[in-house]
Amino acid sequence: MVQMGFYINSQLCTGCNACVVACKDKNDLDVGINFRRVYEHTEGGYGKSNQGITQNVQTFFTSISCNHCDEPKCMENCPTTAMYKREEDGVVVIDHDKCVGCRYCEWNCPYGAPQYNEELGKMTKCDTCLDLREAGEEPACVAACPMRAIEFGPIEELREKYGDTADVRGLPSSSITKPNLVINAHKDASK
Amino acid sequence: MHEWPLLIFTITMQAAIGGIFMLWFFQLRNRNKETLNMFHLFKIPLIVIALLSLVGLGASFAHLGSPMNAMNTLRNIGSSWMSREILVTGLFIGLACVNAAWALYRKKISSWLLLVATLVGFVDVYCMAAIYSNSLIGPWNSIHTFLSFYGTTFILGAVLAVALLIPTLYKQKMELEAKQFLKIALITVLVGIGFHAIGIALFPATMVETSIIESTATAGVLSSYQGMIASRWVISVLGIALLGYLVLSSNKKYLVNLSFIALLIFVMSEGMSRYVFYVLGA
Repeated sequence: MVQMGFYINSQLCTGCNACVVACKDKNDLDVGINFRRVYEHTEGGYGKSNQGITQNVQTFFTSISCNHCDEPKCMENCPTTAMYKREEDGVVVIDHDKCVGCRYCEWNCPYGAPQYNEELGKMTKCDTCLDLREAGEEPACVAACPMRAIEFGPIEELREKYGDTADVRGLPSSSITKPNLVINAHKDASK
Repeated sequence: MHEWPLLIFTITMQAAIGGIFMLWFFQLRNRNKETLNMFHLFKIPLIVIALLSLVGLGASFAHLGSPMNAMNTLRNIGSSWMSREILVTGLFIGLACVNAAWALYRKKISSWLLLVATLVGFVDVYCMAAIYSNSLIGPWNSIHTFLSFYGTTFILGAVLAVALLIPTLYKQKMELEAKQFLKIALITVLVGIGFHAIGIALFPATMVETSIIESTATAGVLSSYQGMIASRWVISVLGIALLGYLVLSSNKKYLVNLSFIALLIFVMSEGMSRYVFYVLGA
């Protein structure tokens, strides 16, 4: 099995949210449901000195969707087995014929990936744009990023190219679910 | 707060489980007293407990987005605490109904059935707590969850059994048994309160740091519910004082009404405690 994953170059990410909007548009997501989200992490503050006001504020952005983890807590805890990993590419998807809409996966995903759809009464999440990929295209978030800060592909290849950092400031520990995520950390984001 | 169905489910189920436990304990203590007709005494309590557990079942369905798929929730017993809890809850509800049906059909009480229901019920409380303590929600991921759930089980079970048994005991002129049972109920409530207190004392020491991205800090949430937390404890103390009065008082006139008021007081305080529990995570 080839395990697929995402590479996020936080050095390039400007927090423009184009990936979020492209994902919403592609998946026709209602307000409040975001398969991909951009998290802003800000530290520091302002101080007064003789020279006036000085600041040491640092801000960076991390774009996160489902990381199609090696040990997905959502799948382990789903009472219905609706959440499962595809054998062919390790992508975590939801079988809507089984999902009961209990939202327990929400409490178990460190990255906030499963999103409840009130209208369906079921959980929904990033499936790496399976239909686009079958048509030979990139996932919508990858294609929409103006900074080319997101890549999608076999995680082994991504790790070979970019290393294996998945722990940066603002993200939960990668030891919880072993995400298939590689991040080029922003200069202020290294843990 | 959008977890009202879960609040109702956990509170009703824990009250029913605690109630069955108290009935089993009562009949164990009084099994040699031939003057006591256990069937007459337990008939209504067993029906109420069975109905209460069915209300809990209904509330659990109200929590689901697609209740038609409810049977699927038993598919992951191997690794999901929710699957395990649903199985054991189903077993308890079945046993609560069997206890009531047995009593009505056979016109007697089966102490074995009561014991089995109690044991399954206690396992069920463990499974309920394990769902939350195995989640990544920081404030739930603590021994506090177990102590709080068992605490509520003992407290509500005791006051429910008091409200259901005391009126009949007084009607049957079993004042000695009523007083003895009130004393046991008071001790059980104090044990339950002790569980809560130990849980809260251990809370900061055992709570796992928040592991979910962008989750709200526990201290911030708790600070906005200070009033409710304080009221819950004031109400609990009032409830304990009322139970203490019931134990000591020889005035029979209001004892029945007061035992129902004690039940209401503790439903309110345990409900508030559970409310704060859910706003911490959901």
